[in-house]
Amino acid sequence: MSKMLTKEDLAKYPFLDQSAAFIAGYNLTLSDLTAPAYSGVVDRAVERVRRSIEGGAGAATLNLGDTETEILSYPLALALVYASGARWLVNRFATSEAKRCEELLKMEAAPKLAEIAKSSFGWKVDLEDLRLEWERLTFRLGLADYLEVAPQFHSPSWKLTNKYVDKGYVFLDTKDFSRLLAENLKLRIIRKSGEEEAKNFELPAALQPHLSGILGLLEGKKELYEDEFPEGVVDEARPPCIVAIANDLRAGKSLSHMARFAITTFMLNVGESVDGVLKLFSNVADFDEGKARYQVEHIAGMTGSRTKYAPPKCEVLRSFGLCVEPDKLCATVSHPLNYYKRRVRAGPATSAPRGEDGRRGGRKGAQGRHR
Amino acid sequence: MGGGGAGRVHKVVIDEFRNYYSRLPAEQLDVKDFVKREYAMLHFGDQTMVRHLRFDSTSELRRRLVEEAPANVYYSSAYYRDPQADDMNAKGWEGADLIFDIDADHIRTDCKESHDTWACLDCGCRGRGFPPEACPKCGMKKIDTVTWVCEGCLDTAKAEIFKLIDEFMVPDFGVALGEIEICFSGHRGYHLHVLSDSVRGLAGDGRREIADYVRGIGLDPKEHGFRQVPGNGPILGPDMRDGGWRGKIARAIYEFVSGRSQEELRAVVGPVVADTITKSKEKFLQSISDTPPHWGGMRGYSLESLLKIANAAAKEHVCNIDERVTLDVKRLIRQPNSLHGKSALKTAEVSYSDLEHFDPLKDAVAFNSGSIKIYVKEIPRVRIGDCEVGPAKGTEMEVPMAMGLYLICKGAADPRL
Repeated sequence: MSKMLTKEDLAKYPFLDQSAAFIAGYNLTLSDLTAPAYSGVVDRAVERVRRSIEGGAGAATLNLGDTETEILSYPLALALVYASGARWLVNRFATSEAKRCEELLKMEAAPKLAEIAKSSFGWKVDLEDLRLEWERLTFRLGLADYLEVAPQFHSPSWKLTNKYVDKGYVFLDTKDFSRLLAENLKLRIIRKSGEEEAKNFELPAALQPHLSGILGLLEGKKELYEDEFPEGVVDEARPPCIVAIANDLRAGKSLSHMARFAITTFMLNVGESVDGVLKLFSNVADFDEGKARYQVEHIAGMTGSRTKYAPPKCEVLRSFGLCVEPDKLCATVSHPLNYYKRRVRAGPATSAPRGEDGRRGGRKGAQGRHR
Repeated sequence: MGGGGAGRVHKVVIDEFRNYYSRLPAEQLDVKDFVKREYAMLHFGDQTMVRHLRFDSTSELRRRLVEEAPANVYYSSAYYRDPQADDMNAKGWEGADLIFDIDADHIRTDCKESHDTWACLDCGCRGRGFPPEACPKCGMKKIDTVTWVCEGCLDTAKAEIFKLIDEFMVPDFGVALGEIEICFSGHRGYHLHVLSDSVRGLAGDGRREIADYVRGIGLDPKEHGFRQVPGNGPILGPDMRDGGWRGKIARAIYEFVSGRSQEELRAVVGPVVADTITKSKEKFLQSISDTPPHWGGMRGYSLESLLKIANAAAKEHVCNIDERVTLDVKRLIRQPNSLHGKSALKTAEVSYSDLEHFDPLKDAVAFNSGSIKIYVKEIPRVRIGDCEVGPAKGTEMEVPMAMGLYLICKGAADPRL
């Protein structure tokens, strides 16, 4: 074990390479953990998964009274998550673990954070302590490591353009560095779920009842993760970027290819008809209905390659200068369709659907492919 | 991708391209990890790219080039386990060089007025210079262009590539000069290849951040240290010696305020603030270059005005790259020392130390002997090597081979027997 990291640290950060080494020291397999002597470990593992599903404040907790249980229950919890085969649960678990770790990491001393980054993530990082006018940037992180994680964040302050960059390094304060570490943990949990090892993983029979319990819990949360859009387009739920393009169209302005593509894909994906989309374009000076119909139908997947296109994600729109007047909700989403979905979900009180009879029914899978 | 396509195919061009490749030493076709690259070719008179090629050696590639004399040859920026697999997902992507493309066509230059024309395909409206996004008469966007490159365009592109290397790659990204390759594209611009192992694994979103960085996309001066101490206190801000955009913004403001006229400053911050700053220009410049800098060293302007100047000034320090090339992790890019089908010039590698004196219209000439008789349709003044012709229209002339092939490949002349 590294001198810098205590057993308590391994319990706090069970994703560490050192934690894996600690577990390896016990020479235990997952099946061994089903023995009565380890029932506490199984219970704790199930609790970890449960809490991540239930969410809310303190979704993931920490029990430092029993560090061994804490360390051993982590890989078991992960095993249950992967065995569920539910992508939503993987994301959820990864997110709550990341949140939990971020809170703890923020309190750590800089050398320990650097040690964690180097030994478990292989990051190129050192302590630099750059003092600027009113900021103190303690960490110097290799550009490639930064770029592997930071594009996940959407606030402008995370853009490389807005960072202190020098000679191949990005300089960061403790808060940002902890956030990056936590996000990388999340990415690792999610990426691993796509690997063969996790996909083909078979849970020991004795753990099956626990998995069933978790799947039952998931069933109850279905409405949270299924892609559902109401019938009829809810104009008020459209994000500012799409509203701006729609306004330009109404004003008869000539738009860039990307702007046209964005609004067409967006409207089709939230359930607008081809005719409805064409109507949006009818004020534009060079509108040619025949050509436009062909293009819109192509994008809708009715002709040509049969691919239904999804709108570009926020990042792309931003690059093309189409992200205008982002609001509070924008800061929390990475895709215009997610914005729409959240606003719609916020309820009919704030937004009424535009469908003829105002009916709000679930329409599964209307989201197309945008991941 | 010029030079292929449905235009007329002239035997003399194919013969000369073949001659060039037979003379070319195979090692001049070498690129890093040659066998991991996908190759692609476009032939004269053909619109379909032949893709998914893999070569065991540069001499095997050369043999193919001699046999087929293609109009254009490309290799992948990506390294693949199986470059020849025809399903992109089966190739086994193992990373890619980071590529920047600077194209004179995308940069507004004054000289375009003298050599470029455009025409609206819908209403026939015509004009000179940089083509409009939409026709000013009918609003349609189908604009046909006839573009030429001159020394002015190419110098602008070269200045841009210097900016990319000197102001971004080396100081900010820590790229060593030994890890980059600079190529004249063979027509209108330059490519910069960054071959460092550290960038090889970058995904598309990371590359987008790099492209946005050099283009200054999303730049917010407030993220770079500008802040006013609450209660109308002093204004704090970046130091010119700071790294990244932080220091660039500080230097840009200095340059802007010291180099611009009062009128130009007025256009950015309005007359009152502009006049205040202009009146005490020396003092302003002195305070912002102090250690630490004093951004609010005098009365009469606000943090808001400073931010306006910062934004205007920063715009002049961005680099004009074609971002699509940079963020593509599977780009096909021109093979060094191959010929460009639209110019018969070669894609020439240039070392950083030679770049300043590199003359693309001379140093990228691939045909140094012989002459050819041509019929010129319409050309502006054109120089290739030491030979200058034009402007000319509807005339026959005998010119050096490089000039003849250039004009034929541009579609502005036909060979005469």
